[in-house]
Amino acid sequence: MKKLTENILDKLTIDYLRNQVLKNAYGNDDTVIAGLDPRILLVWYLFFGLVPWFLDDVVLLLCLFVFTALTTRAAKIAPLVLFLFCIGVFSQTGYLFIVALFFGGNAETVAPLLVMTLKVAIVSLASITVFSGLDPDRLANGMLWFGCPGQLSFSISFAYRILPVLMEEFQNILLSYRLRGNPPARETLFGKIRYLGYQVRMIIQSFYPLMLNTAKRSRTTVEALELRGYRYSIQDPKVKQMKLAMLKVTRTDLVFAGISVMWVCVSAILSAVI
Amino acid sequence: MNPQAKITQSQKLMVFVLSMALYGLATLFTELIPSFQVGIVEFSVEYFLFIPLSLAMLFDPLSAGLGAATGELVFSEIMLGQFGGLGELEKFITVTIGVYIAGRLVKNPRNRAAVAGASILGVIVQLFMGCVVDILKVQLAVEDFEAVAGLPESVFFTEGFAFLNDVLFSGILFCMLPTMFLVPKLYGKIEPLLGMKPRDEKTVLGSGQGIPVKGIVLCIVGFAAAIGAELLASGGYELIDWEADWAGSGSAIIIAIIVAAVLALVVIGVIRNRASRSGETV
Repeated sequence: MKKLTENILDKLTIDYLRNQVLKNAYGNDDTVIAGLDPRILLVWYLFFGLVPWFLDDVVLLLCLFVFTALTTRAAKIAPLVLFLFCIGVFSQTGYLFIVALFFGGNAETVAPLLVMTLKVAIVSLASITVFSGLDPDRLANGMLWFGCPGQLSFSISFAYRILPVLMEEFQNILLSYRLRGNPPARETLFGKIRYLGYQVRMIIQSFYPLMLNTAKRSRTTVEALELRGYRYSIQDPKVKQMKLAMLKVTRTDLVFAGISVMWVCVSAILSAVI
Repeated sequence: MNPQAKITQSQKLMVFVLSMALYGLATLFTELIPSFQVGIVEFSVEYFLFIPLSLAMLFDPLSAGLGAATGELVFSEIMLGQFGGLGELEKFITVTIGVYIAGRLVKNPRNRAAVAGASILGVIVQLFMGCVVDILKVQLAVEDFEAVAGLPESVFFTEGFAFLNDVLFSGILFCMLPTMFLVPKLYGKIEPLLGMKPRDEKTVLGSGQGIPVKGIVLCIVGFAAAIGAELLASGGYELIDWEADWAGSGSAIIIAIIVAAVLALVVIGVIRNRASRSGETV
């Protein structure tokens, strides 16, 4: 119980969260992955996000896993995201293994689950590489090029800009509640549970002022958008073309695509030999 | 203020942005708070669905639902790099449907009992759809599902248990109670900030009485699409079983991969062409 409260309080430092998210979004502009063309990366992601589901060769999957791990490393992903990735993979398949053991499974249960874990890991690593490694604006433009609705690419750009502001505001509200509040004693086990409940209740309560403030802010945002003719511009192909004129495929992109194809071919041959 | 108590397009956009930003922030937190397990009973702050639920009861339900789903997608999936591709479509659709149903059911936001009932119903609908999809997913994705000892029972058991656990724990604590507290409190205060009239029995949005037939049909179609997307994303085996003759041999896989690679190269080439052409014209 003590560990739990400590763990949660540790993660709940909003400054830490904000730093990690900002670092993840804007902190790695100088990596190889961030410099690539978003469209190439999205096609790349389409391959690595879909093909692993159709394979069940352990060697081939291992090779692909190594490759996506390397690209993730090249993208310099924030540690928090990697930690979440590990938890995510475990929660998707790892727990099934434990429960299957509980219901009388044995070592044979491991093989299909290992294959499935590898698949999940490859797909998530590929998505981490593409979606965390890229600058949000470039990502939004790339998705727009492939015909995603304008709202989605707007949402991505907007989210990255509004998030630091919202987090700071949320923190201020939370701190003001904390200053005024009188937390219950937390010496006994029961007190600790009550303390946890108190914290959660405070977080929920602080959404009340936050909702009102954000309502005001979203009205301002939408009115500013309307002034610039947002709803007309997302339907106009000319505007889209102007927006996407910055996207260029360079030599690095081709090299990256070439390396990916080579790697996949070599690992396929390797798996056929073994 | 708008005299007809109708919602304009820009107000819908406001609700969308509001719901997206708030729910996105909340899911970002819940994504980061580790869950706490006692045996297989999981106590996690599953989600703060109370935010879109309250907004759906106060404003246009569809915009609030879509906004919440987009917010979750953008903030907690794309920003943290946990984007699961097509599989995310399932969550997107179920969240939208759950929030929309809950929002449509409430006629008078000041009636606490109605708010509580609608919010818990919305949560149950959302969780149940997710549960069904999850069971189907594991059944189709793990090879020889029946042959793996203990797996079928364990999947039904864990999924059913997770469903009950989520409804009783997250559903009541983090969805029903906060919504009951927030909706009457926000009623009449938050609407003027977006420049509209508070909602009452006469100005229930759209055609009015409860959930229209069209809405139900749309929900069912959406759910079918969700299952389809999820299976397409994770049930690769289904397709391979179907063409079982060639699949499984090493050379077939190699050919398939080479075909895929060539396809990718062609796409890249097309992109390049179009890029250079648009570069010339602009």
